Amino acid sequence: MSDVSRHGPSAASAYRYAEQMTPPDPRRVSMVALETFAHVYEVDPRLMQRWVLQQTFPNWDTLRIMNSRHDHLDWMHAHFAHKVIPGSELLAEVAAETETVPVGQEGQR
Amino acid sequence: MTDTQTDPAGADALSRPFTPGAPSNAPELSEYRDLVKGPDIVPLADPKTREFVQEWRNASYNCYSSGHKFCREVCPVMQVTRNESWTPTAFHANVVAMERGELDIADIAADYVNCTQCGACELRCPNTLFTGDFYRFRTRTVDVVKAVRALAVESDIHQPQWKSWNERTNDRTHEPVLGQTPVSQERVRDWAEGLDIPIGGDTILFVDCEAAFYRTSVPRAVAQVLQSAGYEFGLMGEQWCCGGPAAEMGYVDQARRFARHNLDNWRTTGTKRVLVLDPHDYITFTEDYPKYFGAEFDIEVVLVIEVFAELIRQGRLTPTVPVNRTITYHDPCRLNKRKGIWKEPREILRAIPGLTFEDVDRVTQWSYCSGGGGGLPVEKPELTAAISANRLDKAAQLNVDTLVSACPWSERPLSEAGDARDIDVVDLHELLAESLGITVGGSRGEVGDKRAATARTGVPQPRGRGGCGGGGCHSGGGCGNGSSGCGCGCGGQH
Repeated sequence: MSDVSRHGPSAASAYRYAEQMTPPDPRRVSMVALETFAHVYEVDPRLMQRWVLQQTFPNWDTLRIMNSRHDHLDWMHAHFAHKVIPGSELLAEVAAETETVPVGQEGQR
Repeated sequence: MTDTQTDPAGADALSRPFTPGAPSNAPELSEYRDLVKGPDIVPLADPKTREFVQEWRNASYNCYSSGHKFCREVCPVMQVTRNESWTPTAFHANVVAMERGELDIADIAADYVNCTQCGACELRCPNTLFTGDFYRFRTRTVDVVKAVRALAVESDIHQPQWKSWNERTNDRTHEPVLGQTPVSQERVRDWAEGLDIPIGGDTILFVDCEAAFYRTSVPRAVAQVLQSAGYEFGLMGEQWCCGGPAAEMGYVDQARRFARHNLDNWRTTGTKRVLVLDPHDYITFTEDYPKYFGAEFDIEVVLVIEVFAELIRQGRLTPTVPVNRTITYHDPCRLNKRKGIWKEPREILRAIPGLTFEDVDRVTQWSYCSGGGGGLPVEKPELTAAISANRLDKAAQLNVDTLVSACPWSERPLSEAGDARDIDVVDLHELLAESLGITVGGSRGEVGDKRAATARTGVPQPRGRGGCGGGGCHSGGGCGNGSSGCGCGCGGQH
């Protein structure tokens, strides 16, 4: 699959029905999930037949949702996160605190 | 209510959990029966309502059973009315109540007027934004609203202004955007006077009713910019309204009939590609027409803004005339929220010299709207005006003198709200043309662009109605203001 088809057309590319209604060949990434466009994952549609009716998604809509999600998360970070703390730093902090608590006083903090 | 039992094959879902249908399941689990029991459905006597509920119950329960309500604060109607009956949540809950036989269409039809179909609610809904692509199932408020309106019309429940609007559109094959001044098939190409554009051909420019008859400066700008880049295009043989507004208001049969006419007409002129300058048309051609015609719809649809951005990238368009304005950009709902198109307009604006651009990011603008869509200004102009005023208040906080939009339908209400705040509303296509040294001509509506008119005539333009405002109405197209008081200094020579 070409790089272009994996990333999909740009948001404002010419609309062509046949192109929009043909999703790229999916790549299985787990027992229950597929990857269609790059970084676009979906539940294997075979598992969705009973519980959630599948809607028809032209390619532009799938990509719009994925791109909007990233935009929104970036926006949230820009507005509400003053700094990003890596998980390893938090774990090290917890480990350091655990080491300094005397035995028998763990529940008294 | 959930009922469980051991299945016939002997597997017990409680003692050994598994995912029905998973490829890793043991073969005997392939026939595992679904024993989740839902509520008993109330049989509905009205077949139209029953059919409607069957189609939309799933989408409605998707909202009703979640209840996040992130939609509320991005909804332009909710922002100015705080009316709980006019929220996206209520629009879905009503369908659930209809399924239970507790409401019928007559009870709720009028509530569904209060929606611009901007798409903010369905995009901001976590069921779209965070899981829509994953489950291939997203919130569809716009479709639900259109379906309820269609059910109302089918049930002979009409909103008076919408009924009249669509009757007149049907009579004239174009929307009555000039009020008492009739529009007609004979005048649909008047905006192109003097531009020497052929009819038909491989690529045609489709001009929506508002731009063709009211804000004629927009199609004139588009056509002349394309011509200056040597881009070949023609006009439609016999253009009718796209049918999109009729579909938005629930007049689906009329919408389909107009769509059929347009598609057939494109066939007669050998047209393969349609250039679209109006975001509403872009939605109609890329969402409604594919639903009506399926694979038969083999016409390529291209947004003019995308063409302009590409021509600038290629060096075929180079804006050189400085435009000394302090602007902000209004992301049209149908481009930004409903299509994810926000980059190309900014590319064009950043290529125009002289502009001071106070940009507001695209995510913040999910909650912005002009109020000009979904038929709202036809049935409830006062609500459109309140939403536009809200939008202009946000622009005024940036100390700009100009709000740039890229949607003719937004520009009329935004211009009226801008006039009270000394902010001109200019179309992106007009602005690019100006920077390319093109004298656009045509009308910029009743309010007009006062700064451009002042610059062109040397006469300060008073605020208030009247003025094609710098459109240069001598160049054809007419400003639509009759022969007096247009404020553009033309002496009434329209």
